[in-house]
Amino acid sequence: MKLARYTGPIERLGESVLAYVRATVELIGLFFSTMAGVVRGGRPRGEVVHQMYVIGNRSLIFVAVTLGFIGMVMIYQACLQFTKVTGDFSQVGVQFIRLIVSDFAPTLCGMMLATRVGAGIAAEIGSMKVTEQVDALRMSGVLPVDYLIVPRFLASVVMTVVLSVVGGAIMWIAGGLTAQYSFHVNPALFYDMSLVRPIHLAMGLVKALSYGMAIPVVSGFCGLRAKGSSEGVGWATTSAVIGSSFAVIVLDFFWSMLGFLFFGASL
Amino acid sequence: MSLIEFRSIAKAFGGKPVLRGMDLAVEKGEVLFIIGTSGVGKSVTIKHLIGLLRVDAGEIWFDGQRIDQLDEKAFWPVRRRIGMVFQSSTLFDSMTLTENVALPLRKHKKMRMGAACDEARRRLGEVYMTDFADRFPAELSDGMRKRAAIARTLALDPEVVLFDEPTTGLDPVNARRIDRLTRELADHRGVTVIVVSHDLTSIFTIADRIAFLYQGAVRAIGTPAELRASSDEVVQQFIRGLSSGPMETPGF
Repeated sequence: MKLARYTGPIERLGESVLAYVRATVELIGLFFSTMAGVVRGGRPRGEVVHQMYVIGNRSLIFVAVTLGFIGMVMIYQACLQFTKVTGDFSQVGVQFIRLIVSDFAPTLCGMMLATRVGAGIAAEIGSMKVTEQVDALRMSGVLPVDYLIVPRFLASVVMTVVLSVVGGAIMWIAGGLTAQYSFHVNPALFYDMSLVRPIHLAMGLVKALSYGMAIPVVSGFCGLRAKGSSEGVGWATTSAVIGSSFAVIVLDFFWSMLGFLFFGASL
Repeated sequence: MSLIEFRSIAKAFGGKPVLRGMDLAVEKGEVLFIIGTSGVGKSVTIKHLIGLLRVDAGEIWFDGQRIDQLDEKAFWPVRRRIGMVFQSSTLFDSMTLTENVALPLRKHKKMRMGAACDEARRRLGEVYMTDFADRFPAELSDGMRKRAAIARTLALDPEVVLFDEPTTGLDPVNARRIDRLTRELADHRGVTVIVVSHDLTSIFTIADRIAFLYQGAVRAIGTPAELRASSDEVVQQFIRGLSSGPMETPGF
C-alpha cells in the first residue's frame, strides 16, 4: 500500500517562500530580457506608437480626473487644518508644488496606470498565453518578450513621464482653484514655484521612469504565467494589478529613502 | 533509426504524472495518429518535440540529433523543420491573414516584408483563402481560421507537421477537407504528419499508423486494420466509443 506523503505547516510555508523566490528571480530575469530586447530590436513595426496610444491617450482622462480630484481633496484638507491652527496659507501652494513634482504626480499617476494599464497588459498577454498564441509566436521564430513586452515597456516609460507631467499640472491647478474659491487664497501666493529645485525634478523623473518600467514588466510577467482558461486570465489580471501597485509603492519608498540619504533636508 | 524517437519520456504537472516512460517512433513520410482519452498526454507529447514543453526524464531524437536538451534559440532550426497547427488555430488577432503567414517567413527565412507578404498570399491561395488574405482572424469562421493556420505552418515547407486536434469544432464537410489536406501533405510532398485526434472518422480514413496512449504510455500501435483487430479490451472500448468497459477514465 502506498502511503500519502505528509506535508506539515513548515514544509508548506517553505514551499510558498520558495515559490515566491522563484517567481522573483524569474521576474528579474524578464526585466533583463526586456532590456536586452530593447537593444536587440526586432519588435513589430509601429507597435510602440500603437502602445503609446493605448497606454497614454486612453489613460489621459482617467489620470487627469483622478489626480485633479486628489489635488482638490488634499488642498481642501490642508487648508482646513491650517484654518484651525494658524490661518496662514502662505506655505500651502509652495509646498504642494514641491511635493507634486518630487512625489505626488509620478506616484499617483503610477498607481493609476498600475490598475488601468497593468490589468490591460496582463489580460491581453494572458489571453494570448492560454489560447497558445504565445506558443505560436515561438514557433514563428519570435521571442515573445520582443513582441509582447518590449513595445509596451518603451511606450509605458515614455507615457508614464508624459502623464505624470500632465496629471501633476492638473492636480496643481485643481488644488489652486480649490484654495482660491474655498479659502480665498491669493493665486499669486499659491502658484509660487520658488521651492522647486532641480533635485525635485530629477526625483520625480526617476520615479516616473522606474514606474514606467516596472508596470509593463510585472504585468507582462503575470500575463505570461497565465494557465488554463478564462480563470487563469482573471488570476493574471488580478495579480498584475496587485503586483504593479506594490511595485510602485516599493519603488517610491526606495527612491525617497535614497533621496533622503543622499540629499537629506535639501530634498 | 526512425525520423523521430521518444525514449522513456516522463512528464508531470504539479506532481501529477502525465507521461510515464513513453516510447514512440515515427517513420519518415507516414501519417501517424496519436489517440487516447482527454488528458492522457497526446498534446503534451507533440509539444515536447518542438520545445514548447520540457521533458522531466527521457530523450527525444529527431533526424539523428538529440533535441530534448536544446535551449530556446537552439530549437529555432528544429521549429523551421517541424511545424505545428494548434488546436485553436492561434492566429494573431492584431494581424491580417497575410501578416500572420508572413511572420514566420520574415523571422525564420529572414525575408523582407514585401517578399514575405507575396509568398504569404501564394500560400493562402494553396488553401483557397486568397479572397480573405487582408481580413483579420476575428472576421473569419473556425474552418477558415484553421486553413489559414495550416498555410502559416506550411509556409516554411516543414519536413514534419504536427496537428493538434485539427478537426475539433469543425463541421463534417470542413473536417473532411482538412483530412484530405493532411493526407495530401504526406502523399504529394513527402511530409511526415503526426495528428493528435479523437475524430474516429479521420483516424480510420487517413492514418498510416495509430498510437493509442493510455496511462502515460503507448498501449497499442499499428495500422488501422491492426488496431481494429486488436484483442485488447481497452483499445476496443476506445475505438468503438463505448461508455462502459475496462478503461479507467479519471473523473468518471
